[in-house]
Amino acid sequence: MSKRWTWGKVSLEARLLLIGIPVFLWTMIPIYHLFLFAISSKDSATSGRLWPKQPTLQNFSIVLEQKHFYLNHFWQQLGNSLLIALAVGAITLFVSTTAAFAISRLKVQGGRSVMNLALFTYFIPAAFLAVPMYKTMANYGLLNSRWSLVLAMVTIASPYCIWVLKQASDKLPWELDEAARMDGATPLQLFRLVYIPLMVPSLVAVGVYALLLAWNEYLYGFLLLSKTSDLTLAVALGNFLAADDSPWELLMATGLIYALPPAAIYYAFKRYMVGGLTSGAVKS
Amino acid sequence: MAVVAFKKIEKSFGKVKVIHGISFDIADGEFVVLVGPSGCGKSTLLRMLAGLEEIDSGDISIDGRVINELDSKDRDIAMVFQSYALYPHMTVRDNMGFSLKLRRADAALTSQRVANAARILNLDTLLDRYPRELSGGQRQRVAMGRAIVRDPKVFLFDEPLSNLDAKLRVAMRAEIKALHQRLKTTTVYVTHDQIEAMTLADRIVVMNDGIIEQIGTPLELFDQPCSLFVAQFIGSPAMNVFTGELHRADGQNWVQAGDNRWPVAATAAGSEGQSVNYGIRPGDIVIAPPGSGIPARVIVVEPTGAETELLLEVGASQFTVVLHGRTQAKPDDLVGLQIDAAKTHLFEQGSGKRLV
Repeated sequence: MSKRWTWGKVSLEARLLLIGIPVFLWTMIPIYHLFLFAISSKDSATSGRLWPKQPTLQNFSIVLEQKHFYLNHFWQQLGNSLLIALAVGAITLFVSTTAAFAISRLKVQGGRSVMNLALFTYFIPAAFLAVPMYKTMANYGLLNSRWSLVLAMVTIASPYCIWVLKQASDKLPWELDEAARMDGATPLQLFRLVYIPLMVPSLVAVGVYALLLAWNEYLYGFLLLSKTSDLTLAVALGNFLAADDSPWELLMATGLIYALPPAAIYYAFKRYMVGGLTSGAVKS
Repeated sequence: MAVVAFKKIEKSFGKVKVIHGISFDIADGEFVVLVGPSGCGKSTLLRMLAGLEEIDSGDISIDGRVINELDSKDRDIAMVFQSYALYPHMTVRDNMGFSLKLRRADAALTSQRVANAARILNLDTLLDRYPRELSGGQRQRVAMGRAIVRDPKVFLFDEPLSNLDAKLRVAMRAEIKALHQRLKTTTVYVTHDQIEAMTLADRIVVMNDGIIEQIGTPLELFDQPCSLFVAQFIGSPAMNVFTGELHRADGQNWVQAGDNRWPVAATAAGSEGQSVNYGIRPGDIVIAPPGSGIPARVIVVEPTGAETELLLEVGASQFTVVLHGRTQAKPDDLVGLQIDAAKTHLFEQGSGKRLV
């Protein structure tokens, strides 16, 4: 391989940059703004400068010490978000893994139809389902319980997760199941000892997807939860805008903190995310 | 150690019937090879014995006990798959011990059995490796080890050597044979490769289109194929076959094809003037100087060292001849073919049945 720059290479590089730079700016400018607000004092927050005269971490200490009316339950709400996201991730993972195993490996009769029906729910925008979901939760007496949001998010996340896992399990060699059956494995042993270990990459991807979906959810949280101490941080952030003079710098500081866990999770699992979510995207 | 019996087995996939009533017995300790072209139903038959396919009608029994309704795990059989089907996330040791673990066998017993199987198969040093770290032949041996550890009544092999390269295939073939001679476990082996069948089997079951064409020892099938299909399937290079008319006169029998008279065994059945398929194996033809025997022209000479394969032209048809040794013949040489009438085969035109 020669390292010489030819015109072809230079022009290819130039074209990639031409696409890459706008995409980079498009993504980073809002985040930069978020950061800028978060480190500015209240008076200078909206001054329009590219870098504040006196950058400060004051906002973060106000947030972390809950020293503002809107932030009275910050830690509680962060905890709620975390708890709900983890529960949604775990329950979705359980539901979709068992469903995918039954449909793909045990070939349960009608399994495919069930999966297609579940996927069909995506034809209806989630916002339209919000009111029926609200009614349903009311019927079961779950309103104002964090469980209502957990169950709603599991419902929304599961069909896609089942589909991704089903596609991934279809790719496992069928002979493995047959070998395990001949070795004397019951379906549950097959699930536990052979299927789950081989599905780990897809399971991580799907679990993280469901977890982040719940972490970022606003609409359903807003509808289903009302007690201030039950709210997720996403809904609490929305409430900042209820006043005429919103404390933007605090909103942004909280937002920055709120954005950190997903970034960390994504970074930790990105190896699985790309492979897991795209595997099964193409029917091979 | 067990006796296996197939009785009037039938099987359909949807509307397509793939097994049309098959019955045969396998003796205790016997090595039986099911062979046939792809789609002949041999794998399906094996999978029915394994419990991986339902049996539509008929019975399969092991040691006199009908196993149709038994789960695979209760049949006491072990199978080696074409793709090895090793558990990728387990070490060789865990792969081999998996069946015993499921049975909640004593840990000491498990490790002893695994160690024993590993010694037989030369896997001692590989026990802590993962399947992805093994070569094809080693994976194949692990798959066999997994079967041995079970100490089953019957071993099943489903085209176990198809994924190996030619050289390794020959080596593993010998290992499988040695293994059977050592363990003497009843074995059913499926392959489409007739050489594997010939070299391994005590008895071969030749299948075609869901029926059994012939059952017999390798040499029985080679010497007395009961149909044209078996004659052409068994043996490499394949038997030379052409059509002609059977004639009997003055105590002589021959088949007339073009201008040539091909000798026929005195014991052959068939009536005067009947259309027949005439077969002669490449190794049963002797090359003579031109003028004697049936005139032929050399097209291609293929020396392989110990043997020489000749492609000849007789009239409009082509013949393969295998010489045990070397030859001076060159392309376009004229030679004569001498045929031993006792080594020829006659098959009825149409049905393909052997005429004896």
